[in-house]
Amino acid sequence: MIVKPRWSVQLRAIMRKEVSQTVRDRRIMFMLIVAPLLQTVVFGFAVDFQFDHVPTLVVDHDASPQSRKHIRRLLADGTLRDAGHATELGEVQRKLQTGDAAAALVLPAGMARTLLAQRPAEVQVILDGGDPNRAVVVAGAASRYFGETAEAMVKERLAAHGIVPPPLIRATPRIWFNPSLKTPPYMIPGVMTILLVITTTLVTAMGLAREREMGTLEQVLVTPIRPLFLLVGKMTPFLVIGCFDVLLVLTAGVWIFGVPLHGSLLLVATGTVFYVLSTLGIGLLISTVSRTQQQAFLAGFLFAMPAILLSGVMTPIRAMPLWLQVVTFFNPVRYYIEVLRAVLLKGAGLVDIWWRLLALLGFGLALLTIASLRFRKRVA
Amino acid sequence: MSKLSIEAVHLSRRFGSFLAVDDVSFSVARGEIFGYLGANGAGKSTTIRMLCGLLAPTAGQARVAGFDVKSEPESVKASIGYMSQKFSLYLDLPVRANIEFFGGAYGLSGPDFAARADEVLRLCDLAQERNAITGSLPGGIRQRLALGCAILHRPAVLFLDEPTAGVDPVSRRHFWRFIRRLAREGTTIFVTTHYLDEAEYCGRIGLMVDGRLVALDTPAALKKRYVPDQVLAVRGRNLAEAAASLRGRPGITAVEPFGAGLHLQVVAEDWNADSVAHALTSAGAQAVEVESGEPTLEDVFLAVVARPREARAL
Amino acid sequence: MTRPARFLVRVGAMASKEVMHIRRDPRTLYMALAMPVVMLLIFGFGVSFDMDHIPLVALDGDHSVASRALVRAVSAGHEFTVAADSDEATALRMIRRGQALAALAIPAGYQRELAAGRDGEVQLIVDGADGVVANQILSKIDGLVRAESLRRIDLAAEPPLQVKVFTLFNPEARSALFMVPGLAVYLLAIAAVLLTALTVSGEWERGSMEQLFASPVGRLEIVLGKLLPYLGLGMLQLLLVVAVGAVIFDVPIRGSASLLFLAGFLFLVGMLGQGLFISVVARSQLVATQAGALSSLLPSLLLSGMLVPIENMPRILQVLSSVIPARYFVHAMRGIMLKGSGLPILWTDLVALTIFALAILVLATARFRRRLA
Repeated sequence: MIVKPRWSVQLRAIMRKEVSQTVRDRRIMFMLIVAPLLQTVVFGFAVDFQFDHVPTLVVDHDASPQSRKHIRRLLADGTLRDAGHATELGEVQRKLQTGDAAAALVLPAGMARTLLAQRPAEVQVILDGGDPNRAVVVAGAASRYFGETAEAMVKERLAAHGIVPPPLIRATPRIWFNPSLKTPPYMIPGVMTILLVITTTLVTAMGLAREREMGTLEQVLVTPIRPLFLLVGKMTPFLVIGCFDVLLVLTAGVWIFGVPLHGSLLLVATGTVFYVLSTLGIGLLISTVSRTQQQAFLAGFLFAMPAILLSGVMTPIRAMPLWLQVVTFFNPVRYYIEVLRAVLLKGAGLVDIWWRLLALLGFGLALLTIASLRFRKRVA
Repeated sequence: MSKLSIEAVHLSRRFGSFLAVDDVSFSVARGEIFGYLGANGAGKSTTIRMLCGLLAPTAGQARVAGFDVKSEPESVKASIGYMSQKFSLYLDLPVRANIEFFGGAYGLSGPDFAARADEVLRLCDLAQERNAITGSLPGGIRQRLALGCAILHRPAVLFLDEPTAGVDPVSRRHFWRFIRRLAREGTTIFVTTHYLDEAEYCGRIGLMVDGRLVALDTPAALKKRYVPDQVLAVRGRNLAEAAASLRGRPGITAVEPFGAGLHLQVVAEDWNADSVAHALTSAGAQAVEVESGEPTLEDVFLAVVARPREARAL
Repeated sequence: MTRPARFLVRVGAMASKEVMHIRRDPRTLYMALAMPVVMLLIFGFGVSFDMDHIPLVALDGDHSVASRALVRAVSAGHEFTVAADSDEATALRMIRRGQALAALAIPAGYQRELAAGRDGEVQLIVDGADGVVANQILSKIDGLVRAESLRRIDLAAEPPLQVKVFTLFNPEARSALFMVPGLAVYLLAIAAVLLTALTVSGEWERGSMEQLFASPVGRLEIVLGKLLPYLGLGMLQLLLVVAVGAVIFDVPIRGSASLLFLAGFLFLVGMLGQGLFISVVARSQLVATQAGALSSLLPSLLLSGMLVPIENMPRILQVLSSVIPARYFVHAMRGIMLKGSGLPILWTDLVALTIFALAILVLATARFRRRLA
């Protein structure tokens, strides 16, 4: 007698099977759970965009008490670190080339006397332009210090002549959301985002292809199970694992690195689920068009790499040329990292990020739909 | 309900320019054991795939268990069981997990299914191995599991694609005993095999050559039609050259190597065991022993596949 | 035939079989040759820290000539554009939503203070969520405000103390010069590890490994035979990538090209070996690819000095970074391309790369148990 199979029974059966298979594979479990956690901790410590203790050479041709005072004051706040003294430019060049120093401060001979005589003096800063970020920081520190010193000098001189010094504009920085500009609150969400893409997209991409290669797919296709359920089943373990990963990583981030939790965790959870749906959707779509695991992996990887580098995780989207910025509108990674940073660091609420959540959900559903349509076509 | 379990009408399947199945028509009655033979690449697996709803025919129609394979593939799938050539269950799961999954796939659940699962495990002699990881079991036991998973939902039709390939003779015997019991209970069996001794169990046999169905009948009728002459089984030494001298002589229909010796087909009026032995010995063979034998399906197979296609038409 | 000759013949046979596999599968070729170039193009343009037209919220509480002049001064150039002129609540909302990155707060009475001879106090509000960007914004605004301050009192004539900045190796401070060599290394590293991680594990799964073991081919011969074709591909990749860098991104090669390719060769051997090692240990493609991706993607990105300088990391991680070949190759690439560094400076990098390459090959060969246990 033919029993029209109940879809709930079929769905439950395939979800149980997928979860069971995934959980049994200890190495995959390790890579999907332990490895991300490890990597987050390691990279949370590794990545620090704050430049300080930049090794700086001091070339003090003047060697006067005043010049030494300047040097001491300049190095005081820790942005620059004394990397030793040099006596001539050749040595500076060499040390910058080997990387032993990243900058050099050159105070001309007779500087103190020149300034005393109210004649203009010039200080030189030589930078290793190889790392422009670092160079900018050093140049900024030097300009700020000597700029303030110059202003102070001018005020003194004018006051000495009895002239009231003209007013200046003083700018005080106020840093919102992360006052000490620590890197981990910025990087940990980024690392989390990257890890999620790698683990969920690649593994699901290879899933169907794996069954095809091992021959088990045919046996399943001969049963009355709906092709859509196959895809949902493939997604299930990784949806759970992905969300679990986020929970683990976030806990570690808060505990170890002091990542703030200014916004609603519910928003973070929702964003995570939608994001994982998108990444899984991409993985599934790839799996329906790949014949072998190798193809699936390559395709998944070729998506993941640009998605990560062009998402605003590591470098700002605003720094990209316009055409690339437009492309990022189709990148779910971009939306997720924006949601994470906005909610965790800036305390953003639903009203601030709702369209990003919608975009993620939309991507996820669209991709799933396309994947299941393609799969059905393939199978017939 | 129709008496016909499987009906194929002008079934064809083309892959690009390659015609894998060419205008095949046949029908199988309920409870029949139907054998499907042919060389590798003859189109047997493709035919089965079409009948299972896995592959759409490019021409023709087929009905399985009363449902059309093209327009009602889901219903077809719910009514059939399938055992593929290559083992295709999950090697990393324990035996019972495979049973549970495929049961669920057929919509079986609850206490009724639990009872059925136990019954199937018992029937297939797998009760001891229910918790063993499938990949750790030897091939013969795996095949039993594959069969078990195929019959969980008591299908009307069972498709078996070379189910005993690579299995030891004792297990094969058990397997066929089980198949015949299923057939007696009303399940239609559609089986392909290369083991021609097993094919003797079949009610009727179809022979495929290059995508066409070139013969379809009971084993006895096939033997009578394609091996009409007397069959002689020859043993001895240096038979190869001696055999060559016999070929083509009047009254000698066929000379084929068979095992370590020869199978000859001779016109009974012209030759008998003694005259053949004499002829072989004088051609250089030694220790020749000739016995009259029964035509086997292997003889049929060789006769059908060896002769040119144009002489065949059903 | 002598032992060494037989060895070479077998390695040659393995290598040519691998070449046939590669030619059969155009996808591998695409991945090896086209992908790094395409990615370099995209990332060379996309991965940069140079921002322009940064949206700024003007919080002009004074609405005076002086305050408007200040706002104009900050937004006149290409660095900033005024996204809104409003209050702090709006600024908070816009920054939360990413619509603005900074705000310039000018309090009421600003012009009055200046007229009275007292310093005008303004606030530079910055989105601190992104530290790098925040720093950049702060120094840019600071510079613009300071310039306006000086313009007002016409101190452009002869400041007593001036700072002259010379930037070596990258005078225009282009991100590309910094990023492109690093990106090139990154892409090569990933391609190498993944290419080889897939091949051997694929053979395990397909079962063709068993066939190999039945023949007299030894472990080292298998390892070397698999390595050689991909090494050739890798060197081609390196050539392509350097060419793209030079032609499209104007990244010079100030030092010795042969030194560059020697370092590249040693680096590739190490990364291909890493991929092989992973595939030898992981018998399934799924595990191999995950391990390959995880072990090459993030470490090469974050610990190699490609994006973040190594001096910035805590000591433990600096030590960890010393076992990552990418670190040495990034250093060598940047050195040779930007600074014209030569062997005397880079020999330590070459030695490190050689050690890694040898070590990983030994590991891979040793782990390759000929028994099918």
